[in-house]
Amino acid sequence: MIELQNVTKKFYQKDREVTALNGVSLKVPPGKIFGVIGTSGAGKSTLIRCVNLLEKPTSGQVIVDGKNLISLSNAQLAQERRQIGMIFQHFNLLSSRTVFQNVAFPLELAGTPKGAIKERVQELLQLVGLAEKANDYPASLSGGQKQRVAIARTLANNPKVLLCDEATSALDPATTRSILNLLKDINRRLNITILLITHQMEVVKSICDEVAVISNGELIEQGTVGEIFANPKQALTREFIASSLHIEIPAAYAERLSATDAEGLHPLLKLELTGQSVNEPVLSEASRLFGINFKIISAQMDHAGNVNFGILLIELSGNRDNYTAAINYFIGKHIKTQILGYV
Amino acid sequence: MSDSIIQLLLHGTWETIVMTFVSGFFGFVLGLPTGILLFLTRKGQILEQKVANRTLSVLVNIFRSIPFIILIVWMIPFTRALVGTSIGVSAALVPLSIGAAPFIARLVENSLLGLPPGLIEAARALGATPLQIVYKVLLPEALPSLINAASITLITLVGYSAMGGAVGAGGLGQVGYQYGYIGYDAVTMNSVLILLVLLVFIIQYAGDALSKRFDHR
Repeated sequence: MIELQNVTKKFYQKDREVTALNGVSLKVPPGKIFGVIGTSGAGKSTLIRCVNLLEKPTSGQVIVDGKNLISLSNAQLAQERRQIGMIFQHFNLLSSRTVFQNVAFPLELAGTPKGAIKERVQELLQLVGLAEKANDYPASLSGGQKQRVAIARTLANNPKVLLCDEATSALDPATTRSILNLLKDINRRLNITILLITHQMEVVKSICDEVAVISNGELIEQGTVGEIFANPKQALTREFIASSLHIEIPAAYAERLSATDAEGLHPLLKLELTGQSVNEPVLSEASRLFGINFKIISAQMDHAGNVNFGILLIELSGNRDNYTAAINYFIGKHIKTQILGYV
Repeated sequence: MSDSIIQLLLHGTWETIVMTFVSGFFGFVLGLPTGILLFLTRKGQILEQKVANRTLSVLVNIFRSIPFIILIVWMIPFTRALVGTSIGVSAALVPLSIGAAPFIARLVENSLLGLPPGLIEAARALGATPLQIVYKVLLPEALPSLINAASITLITLVGYSAMGGAVGAGGLGQVGYQYGYIGYDAVTMNSVLILLVLLVFIIQYAGDALSKRFDHR
């Protein structure tokens, strides 16, 4: 549905040439949600702006729904952009218009008759759950509500594609989740293909089917979310995955933690489960096999693209002689295992 | 104060109001499109056009640097050709409008520069043409600040028109000059002053109120 072929974008600042995108190619299949993740300055924003030609690529092709946008005239491009929705980090609502008038805006641009506008706007406000706010001005809305208005506005012309430019980055976690749910819902119900850029792995994990990692204007890794989480090849990708898991040794344990073993102490293990780890009930099996008890101190497990992954902190007790065997057992199951110390 | 002086002051006030508002109107007719073009042709804007922007900018700067009292005199041949005379209210309207236009153009350009750039980007992404961006996004969004620009302009024009009174423009300026200064009548002079101050206060107050009324930010 969206295809970028070898897109390069260079900016010229004074006599300096800055390459924001370097030979980027990607393909978003119809009906999928594709995420591009990267740190700030990696070229994400330029990338998404190249899809609807808000930025004109220096070279390369941009094909949306079978049409090559590069070859279109300005008037044809304006026409085609009505098929490509876009929402922004800072919402970009018109402050002089009410919620109703904001959603009506793209319909006015397209010359839709008044009666049809009224009907369509009401339907859209219903869809995003803001029907009762129709006559309010954006200034009186919360961030999440503003983004809902922006979503309704961009859906007005029935786009086939939706571009999300850091759409949840200015929102709190709960609001982020509700906006992501809305996007997923729109994707499923209206069968709209979504391309989003973000710096939050959270976003990729919760709604994307496919993901690409961008760094210094190049896509360094891409694949289905399952593949990438199961088998990240690049250090940056692993960093992003790790950043979505936060685990720390609780303070009470950290104080008691000793680097060397002694009588009466128990080893504290960190287990990292990735997509490669064997999908079996390893803890209870190891417990039976080696006569060891496991006490889970802290754990964060997640599921993305049909892969389980996460981190566990566990305290071992029971048969001391079998500790090593148990650790080797975990390693044999492709679980990254590390002794943090003894408590 | 004699009846005839009161009559004179009332008439002068009316003429000043006419000059201020009519030339303000024509000033906007010329200055608003110029200001919009100045903005749109800037680097990074939707109609980026370096040469056009430079040319327009230089033209605006030239007209802004001519002192108003010189502009009136300098424009006399043009004024005469346009309205048939070089004295009176209708003659004053020509240099007043021309003098206000470049000032307004800069104020308009500034108002538009104050808008969040994301608005234009969003409108483009929704398929708006440049013309639609101007009249559906830029002007309505900048309206509160454009109203402020209008009050500043009108107040400047009150001053300019009074200045014009010294060279035959009519209005309160002329009354003050002829009867107050040349005729050495302090009461008339002070009455003119009070009327001018009142006029400025009313314009500022009305402008603030209107601007607030249209501001939904």
